[in-house]
Amino acid sequence: MIEFRGISKRFPGVQALKDVSLHISRGTCHALMGENGAGKSTLGKILAGIYSADDGEIFIDGKKVGFSSPRDARLAGIGMVYQELSFCENLSVAENLALGETPRMGPFVLYQIMHDKAVAALEAIGCKMDVWAKVSELPVGQQQLVQIAGAVAGGAKIIIFDEPTSSLSQVEAARLMDMIRSLKANGVTCIYVSHRLEEIFEICDDVTVLRDGQYIGTRPVKEVSRDALIQMMVGRPFSEFFPEQKHSSVSKEVLKVENLSSPGKFDSVSFSVRAGEILGMAGLVGSGRTEISEAIFGLDKLATGDVCVEGRKINIRKPSDAMGHGIGLIPEDRKRHGLVLGMSSMENISMAVLRRLSKWGWISSSEEKQMSQKYFDRLRVKAPTLETTAISLSGGNQQKLVIAKWIAANCRILLVDEPTRGVDVGAKTEIYNLIDRLADEGCAVLLISSELPELLNLSDRILVMRNGRINGEFKRDEADQEKILRLMTGTRYLK
Amino acid sequence: MKKLISKIFGTQQSGIIMVILLLGVVLTIFSGSHPDRATGAQVNNFLNQYTLMQTATDASFFAIMAIGATIVIISGGIDLSVGSIYAFAGVISAMVLRAMGPMDSVPTLLTALTLCVGIGLACGLANGLMIVGLRVHPFIITLGTMWIFRGIAFVASKAESILIPDCLTGFTKATFGLGTLYPVPMLIMIASTVIGAIYLSKTVMGRHVYAIGGNADASRYSGLKVGRITTGVYVVSGLTAGIAAFVGTTYYGSASCADATGYELYVIASAVVGGTSLSGGKGSAISAMFGAVLIILIRQSIRTLHLDQNYEWIIIGLAIIIAVVLDQINARLTSRRLLKSVAEKQNIETIKSK
Repeated sequence: MIEFRGISKRFPGVQALKDVSLHISRGTCHALMGENGAGKSTLGKILAGIYSADDGEIFIDGKKVGFSSPRDARLAGIGMVYQELSFCENLSVAENLALGETPRMGPFVLYQIMHDKAVAALEAIGCKMDVWAKVSELPVGQQQLVQIAGAVAGGAKIIIFDEPTSSLSQVEAARLMDMIRSLKANGVTCIYVSHRLEEIFEICDDVTVLRDGQYIGTRPVKEVSRDALIQMMVGRPFSEFFPEQKHSSVSKEVLKVENLSSPGKFDSVSFSVRAGEILGMAGLVGSGRTEISEAIFGLDKLATGDVCVEGRKINIRKPSDAMGHGIGLIPEDRKRHGLVLGMSSMENISMAVLRRLSKWGWISSSEEKQMSQKYFDRLRVKAPTLETTAISLSGGNQQKLVIAKWIAANCRILLVDEPTRGVDVGAKTEIYNLIDRLADEGCAVLLISSELPELLNLSDRILVMRNGRINGEFKRDEADQEKILRLMTGTRYLK
Repeated sequence: MKKLISKIFGTQQSGIIMVILLLGVVLTIFSGSHPDRATGAQVNNFLNQYTLMQTATDASFFAIMAIGATIVIISGGIDLSVGSIYAFAGVISAMVLRAMGPMDSVPTLLTALTLCVGIGLACGLANGLMIVGLRVHPFIITLGTMWIFRGIAFVASKAESILIPDCLTGFTKATFGLGTLYPVPMLIMIASTVIGAIYLSKTVMGRHVYAIGGNADASRYSGLKVGRITTGVYVVSGLTAGIAAFVGTTYYGSASCADATGYELYVIASAVVGGTSLSGGKGSAISAMFGAVLIILIRQSIRTLHLDQNYEWIIIGLAIIIAVVLDQINARLTSRRLLKSVAEKQNIETIKSK
């Protein structure tokens, strides 16, 4: 049994955990839930020895433990599978698995022993792969298996999974669920840190909810409902998760894509979006969804085919051309493509429209401030001031800045790629409402998402992508999860 | 008054200004004094108008280039070729002026200025176009052009030193009735700094420089023309090298292909000592100027305090490392303080909302 007693942890400026106490039974899968910033990852990292608690104690089987490094924790049988996979990507699987305890004779590495150990570790969890393959060449799902293999081979009896499915496709996630079930069958205690309800209902026995660093409660998964969990997480009754939408104002066709192709990414894709309509796009990671949006936005120089805006064929060679036609892109990876993290909230909001706020290249500070403040308030960005740098905001508020940037640019066509990735539940609802309202105001929205409930509840129509081609289309009332999954994966039968 | 003080100490430059003032005080106390030749009164060896003006003049030649370097570094690049552009612009202008023969002072001045600025802009444009067009890291391109530009100056001038018409020296060494003080280089340095600061903080181009330095990908995804902006910063850097060449060669009265050798490193050091981050996205023109002043002041202090001149490089090297480390510590403390105040504000808000 694992017991946390009165754990507190303070980061510069943030009380991450406040007097948290809870029990985790041996051999169960225990979920730690909460919004972003609730402290769930921090708690996991304290157990894994990455952080040390300021206050409080941890007992394992009645014995007090305190790890000052991940190495200590590993020796005590605790392993962690990280959210951001932590590998030396330039090295091979075997080298990564041996990192820290490389078999050696004097200064020389014993590669044969390294190879055998890696193969054995992978076999122990029922995996086979080329252990000399570079980690960077493996799909994310396999990289995660390597992490799990490393933890199990290190003798881990407790494994902490920190948001393990955040970068996995649905199929890879399903495989991970199977893996966790078999680990549990072998007596390994799993601690599953996530905010994805579906997964927790699928594999966890108990669930503990944290909010703002405080312990809210622990419930057996069988006895708790979705709504009750969400209410525990956000701290307020959760009447409506998705906006009640009826896009009655759907009118003329605004964006039309014909035979759009890009070698190796997607092939002869055609579709159209009307003003006031949300067109959902489902598909596995790598099915070409993101690439299509990037091609429309002028980020793919090799793309061929026609893009028409309001019936006229346009030539887009770079993002500024697309913007000239009223197209905006809210990218999948907001930290890399959406924001300049070191700049202020205002500078991020005004980034795409600076020319409009200036005369002869001279920025009008008052206009910039006024315009940014308008969207800052309208989107209810939770930051002390406009001057607050983007890096110090939470995921949800960062996403709001990106959305604000494109609303400010008066887009008629908005390409939205995974708008709620890494966003907490409260902010998710706000983002759904925003997208919905934009459509109501006559914007044509292409919504790309890996979360099917999101697509099913927001879109008017849903396209399903598979291997770079459109594999089917549903009207909103015809679609359900199973039908879409089938077309996404190309399988007839899903358990 | 309190507000004014807190405003001064609150600015980005407060740290470096403090260090300069502190060093100034130390130099004043320990430099000793000498009797003035004309009046016979005791004059401090450091704190007198001639030494101070000389310090500013020495600083101005590369402080002007440091403004350009700062803009390049903010954009996430680096420019190693400025010293060579300086020599190139100086030598070619001097040769053209020699070939054209004696002229009135105004046409001479305009010709020299146009040539220096034009060559600086052209060299910068060449750097920028190659960096963007060939997709090679700016370190490599400007390392190459550093030798190429100086090499052209060497071949063209056959390694001889070329005299500059006197009227130009007369302009740069104008005294405005201040006796033997020459404030023109300092004034040009201050003007360049002010223009640089305005460019960075008030113009669309300046903002875009910060944006591509902070995150080039996100800038591209926001429709910024990253290639054009990148080219632009090297043009600005070349321009500052051209201006510096005009001020420097006319001040000294001659140009040679060995002028400004090694200046690129002083220039980068000035930017860095001024708190510009080599990873891009952060920096200020005013700080860069103070950085240049600080480096010159350290060099000056070796002379003023009668330290062994042979140790000059060691001392400057150490000073640069110490300055940057102190700046980083300061930045960390500030961001921690900032985080704390943000958290406190949020706490207050949540309490209020409850």
